[in-house]
Amino acid sequence: MFSLIENEVIKMISKKRLMFVLAILVVLISIFAYGQNQTLVRTKAQLSQRMGITATDDWRKLADQQLIDMKNRLDSPYMDEKSKSSSRVRMEQLQYNLDNNINPLEQSAAKFTTKFMEQAIFLFLPLLIIMLSADMVSGESSNGTIKLLLVRNVPRWKILLSKYLTLVILEVLIVFLAFVLSAIISGFFFGFGGWQAPVATGFKVLAGKLDSSSVLNVPQWQYSLMVYSLGFFVAFVVGSISFMISILVKSTAASIGIIMSTLVAGNFISFFLSDWKITRYMFMVNLRLTDYLSGSFQPIEGMNMLFSITILLGWAIASTIISFVYFTKQDILV
Amino acid sequence: MQQTAVLELTNLRKIIKGKEIVKGVNLTLYPSQIFGFLGPNGAGKTTTIRMIVGLIKPTEGSVSICGYSVAHDFVKAMSNVGCIIESPDMYKYLTGMENLLQYAAMDKTISQQRIKDVVEMVGLQHRLNDKVGTYSLGMRQRLGIAQAILSRPKLLILDEPTNGLDPAGMTEFRNLIRKLAYEEGMTVFVSSHLLLEIQQMCDIVSIIKQGRVIKTVNVQDILHDTQIEWQLSDPERAILLLAEHWNIVATQLKKNTISADISQHPLDKINEFFIREGIALTYCSTKQNTLEDLFLDLTEGDQIV
Repeated sequence: MFSLIENEVIKMISKKRLMFVLAILVVLISIFAYGQNQTLVRTKAQLSQRMGITATDDWRKLADQQLIDMKNRLDSPYMDEKSKSSSRVRMEQLQYNLDNNINPLEQSAAKFTTKFMEQAIFLFLPLLIIMLSADMVSGESSNGTIKLLLVRNVPRWKILLSKYLTLVILEVLIVFLAFVLSAIISGFFFGFGGWQAPVATGFKVLAGKLDSSSVLNVPQWQYSLMVYSLGFFVAFVVGSISFMISILVKSTAASIGIIMSTLVAGNFISFFLSDWKITRYMFMVNLRLTDYLSGSFQPIEGMNMLFSITILLGWAIASTIISFVYFTKQDILV
Repeated sequence: MQQTAVLELTNLRKIIKGKEIVKGVNLTLYPSQIFGFLGPNGAGKTTTIRMIVGLIKPTEGSVSICGYSVAHDFVKAMSNVGCIIESPDMYKYLTGMENLLQYAAMDKTISQQRIKDVVEMVGLQHRLNDKVGTYSLGMRQRLGIAQAILSRPKLLILDEPTNGLDPAGMTEFRNLIRKLAYEEGMTVFVSSHLLLEIQQMCDIVSIIKQGRVIKTVNVQDILHDTQIEWQLSDPERAILLLAEHWNIVATQLKKNTISADISQHPLDKINEFFIREGIALTYCSTKQNTLEDLFLDLTEGDQIV
């Protein structure tokens, strides 16, 4: 079994696809960090200009101003109910920050690293995983090399298991490298500290109202760890699903196309069909797991962390079972 | 012949999408035999081979390799098989050596020395560290053969193995196959639509047409009762002499050439007789396309299924 996994890893490295994925990761993190830095500078300048003060370090004043801004926006008659309640949630968080002296504007490598995964978890991270997984079986089918694997004195399920385990190893690697790379790259912009700063978590949204009864402060590193664990979970689920598609569809292009369009469609669905209850059983709309941690507003009513994790796990298990059953039974005609 | 069959096909049938591709093939092969599987395109050759190596499941019938059923004892059955199916597909982004190491990693019995020996056997040692993507078709064929024989299989299955080989490579390949069969005792199963290839290489040939084996012949037998052509000084007298002394009906083909079916009569005795009779013999040959005649007779006028 070990030598089979080793074989898969050698193939993966030689294909250069892994290097390509890592290069994308580096480039994107750099751009993202640079952009964050620019936004921060601009926000500070804007706020200090509007408030007529130069001491941007006085974040309390800025936070007060933000609160007032949001309150004004809330009073506007052109705002719909949904954005109103989500604004209200953010305002209450800001108020909580003020009360507990947590500076929301302060940027650090730790904060950036966390934020990066929060932004990447529903589209960018899945795309990276798809680039690796959608090719794993369909690539061998389209090259015809699948025949060479399956006429050896190794049962089919072992061949598939070695591929699946290799995929899990790669998922760990990608999520881990995303963490390390964004911590290092953003460190050059914002300094390497901030890992001990407290982060508020445990917000609950009850009927559009923020329930802060179970809010507690955890150190940034711990929060970050939770976010990246969720990131790995999402990578695992998306990896399993696209692995299945790569078995069912014989061509790599088709398999990447199918899973990518499904993902993008998921983003549309959470915007346009959010009152259609059945959509919440789709895996694509359940990927924003980190939003439950930070207490952002959920896209479809009735969803919570436990619900989403259960749905995602169900998808992963179902696709893995389909993968193994189909792969061990199918006739290889390529 | 020995008792244990290396390969045994029993009433093998396959229906794909309602179409019967293979219609009940029976076959038994013994050690050290070179078997030719001959048929026009679309006759069901590759489908049969895929069933033998377990890539597709037979609709009916069974395959057993060295006594192990492919359906129930896949791992043990496959331990005795090396094969190339249809084309030598390799990982193009790996070098030849890396490709071989991939296979070696799947079978603990393969040593570094064995890899080295096999590479020299197929004559690939100079390009071994180049990426397979840069190989010509002939070189990929050699690499394909190398991976197929790496584990010293008892049954070697080669689907269209000489595709892309140059004439020198073909001769080399034939010698290699003979060596593997007669010295190492491998049973070699070669599928091809190239008649000459099969005729020059194989001991036994099965001709398959529309999913059915229509004839199994011993190549030596059909080559022996072959047509002979002579080029000689006095064709008219030669025809007369052949009819009188040997009871052979000969016909004149060209000015100095006659042709006849000598069946069981020994050719060397006939030639000796001509010389004794004062007929100068310039050229004598067996007609090489007997198998082709047989093949065309049997498969003539058929549409590809």
